[in-house]
Amino acid sequence: MSASTPDEGIGHGGLAAAVDDAHVLLTTGAGGVGKTTTAAALALAAAFRGRHALVITIDPARRLAQALGLEGLATEPQPVPLDAPGRLDAMMLDMQSTFDDLVDRHAATPDRAAAIKDNRIYQTLSASLSGTQEYMAMEKLHELHDRGTWDLIVVDTPPTRSALDFLDAPARMTSFLEGRLLRLLLQPAMSAGRGYLRAVNFGATAFMKVAGKVTGMGVLDDIADFFRAFDGMYDGFKQRAEEVLALLRRPESRFVVVTSPQPPPLREARFFVDRLEQEGLHLAGVVVNRLHGAPVGHDPAELRRAADLLERSDRDANGPQAVTGATAAGLRLAADLRTIAAREARDVAAALVNRSVPLVVHVGRRSGEIHDLPGLEAIATDLTGPVPD
Amino acid sequence: MIEGHDDLFGTNVLLVTGKGGVGKTTTAAALGLAAADSGRDTLLVEVEGRDTLSRAFATTAWDYQEREFRPGLWGVSLDPAEAVYEYLELFYGLRRVQWMMERSHALDFVTTAAPGLRDLLLIGKVYEIEARRRADGRRLFDTIIVDAPPTGRIVPFLQSPSAVTEIVRMGPIRRQSGQIEAMLTDPSRCRALVVTLLEEMPVTEAAEGIVAMAAAGVATGPVVANQVVVPAVTAEQAEVLCGDPAPVRDVAAGVGLDLDDHDLAGLTTMVSDHRVTVARQRRLATRLQAGTGRDLLVLPDLAADTFDVDALHVLADTIARQVGADGPTGLDVAGIVAEPDSSEGGR
Repeated sequence: MSASTPDEGIGHGGLAAAVDDAHVLLTTGAGGVGKTTTAAALALAAAFRGRHALVITIDPARRLAQALGLEGLATEPQPVPLDAPGRLDAMMLDMQSTFDDLVDRHAATPDRAAAIKDNRIYQTLSASLSGTQEYMAMEKLHELHDRGTWDLIVVDTPPTRSALDFLDAPARMTSFLEGRLLRLLLQPAMSAGRGYLRAVNFGATAFMKVAGKVTGMGVLDDIADFFRAFDGMYDGFKQRAEEVLALLRRPESRFVVVTSPQPPPLREARFFVDRLEQEGLHLAGVVVNRLHGAPVGHDPAELRRAADLLERSDRDANGPQAVTGATAAGLRLAADLRTIAAREARDVAAALVNRSVPLVVHVGRRSGEIHDLPGLEAIATDLTGPVPD
Repeated sequence: MIEGHDDLFGTNVLLVTGKGGVGKTTTAAALGLAAADSGRDTLLVEVEGRDTLSRAFATTAWDYQEREFRPGLWGVSLDPAEAVYEYLELFYGLRRVQWMMERSHALDFVTTAAPGLRDLLLIGKVYEIEARRRADGRRLFDTIIVDAPPTGRIVPFLQSPSAVTEIVRMGPIRRQSGQIEAMLTDPSRCRALVVTLLEEMPVTEAAEGIVAMAAAGVATGPVVANQVVVPAVTAEQAEVLCGDPAPVRDVAAGVGLDLDDHDLAGLTTMVSDHRVTVARQRRLATRLQAGTGRDLLVLPDLAADTFDVDALHVLADTIARQVGADGPTGLDVAGIVAEPDSSEGGR
């Protein structure tokens, strides 16, 4: 492991400072690595450490949702019953209602807002435009941060195809909606709606021909309607996106990159660490989930050799046969786990080599799903250490 | 019971899907090796553009042109932008619009924003490859294995043809989407394999995924249980190892291995965790098979120093063994997730 990635073993609790100081924590990483659980555990740790925390989740596992009291459609923060010096609230992000709120806020008139929400393109946009979910998560964060109710807001970012989509979302969203060139190219269809024709350049004409042939004209009319309805709202959207980025760039906003010890998510984690640095965003640390432990303090070859000897030995001479066989099996299993643990440690080190990562926190495998607050508390202890007295 | 390679690889297109983090790509790679080893000309298809499959085989990154990187095994990485250009060229001879699209947001729109269009272009390309024939009329690839989007996105992905049909009222896309849909919903041409871990959430999501795909008219084959922990300690052995530590310490000392109290405590925890895991796997495997009515294909968790192409071969041979062929290095996984006897049940 490189000098910049301190490794103090599983569960050394290095994220306590981030939980105590940050105003915003964002967990990010590849799909299926335990982002949601990590986000919930960090918020829980903050509550145990006396802060008023809010966790915004995207799609929590059913039993985790139950543990957080999010069984219904909790699109507003709900208090989680907890015996702690601080408080914990939790909510789920609902994409469609967040997007609708945004349209309502920025549309010039209620009629204009209704027209947008009725448009077929708009209705499919939130589901299909890459980055929309991420944008909505950021939008909600901004709104809740403005309320000033919470000491710490922990945001679980959506499971993106690539972790990087998340950072690009605000820019992509505004550039799509602004879409000057696309609008220019669509000019004939938009103008036709106003009942007159404008001179268009050759490119637009050619594009219209092609796009019309490929898609059928109907879809272009819908797009033109959509952009017409959105006219005048771009500035509001754009300003909002810039405010979100400014909030993320503050030193009190920190990212927690979550990964499992497999190479593909580790690669995403490394890309994300690089990207945060390029963007001037603050990394609190990397959380490596589901690591195999090393139960016995000997190297795998030594354990396997002892197991071989036991299996070959005159069993009765070496002790009761049942004990000999059991010990050999146990040592072999321990050797396998150490082999896997060593592989994971190498893969983690390789992924983060030459990266300046302030902290790598290791979280051990749990032999079951996290389904209640005590389970979450155990993860929280791995992440931030025991609660101070 | 999966009856031979023909049963597993009998469809032209296999879509490998599953919850994020369950090892879809590893599974697709191992299936590809197993199919190629059985003599099938096999194409592995990447649609997410992350080079994960090519990395699994330690080859250079794949591109839009399929290449044979091992005998009988080809790889291709599909890119929606390339698919647009190819489509335009094919139908209109319009390669020259490329520069224009690159300079506008048009391509962004087509590949990321238009409802389902991106997915349609990718699945359309798979359709085009499936339709290719050799001079003698046989299919160019016997088996096409797609490292498909995760279960959360697979149904929209597969429904992209019909979604586009709803929005696009005319034009060649509309005509073609009907043919693509016909391929996807024909169980002799296309099946999805759902990959899962034997853990609560992934198993639940796998079962839901199968139901959702059935609703979309897409057939599903065996469920792949990945990273299954191979039982290494019997119930009787666990009892010994979790009991009085003194005999275990003595036996180990007899072969020159000194175990201190920390080691012995670690051994006990490890063994009881292992038994809990094995019991949970069995329970979930039973639930999965009963709930989905599907066969289970088991891929073991390998205690390998590095997870490389050799490890993929072990998994491929393990697949071969389960369909009735003997693999030279495959693990015997029969009984890993069978019903427990009465003495086993975890804690």
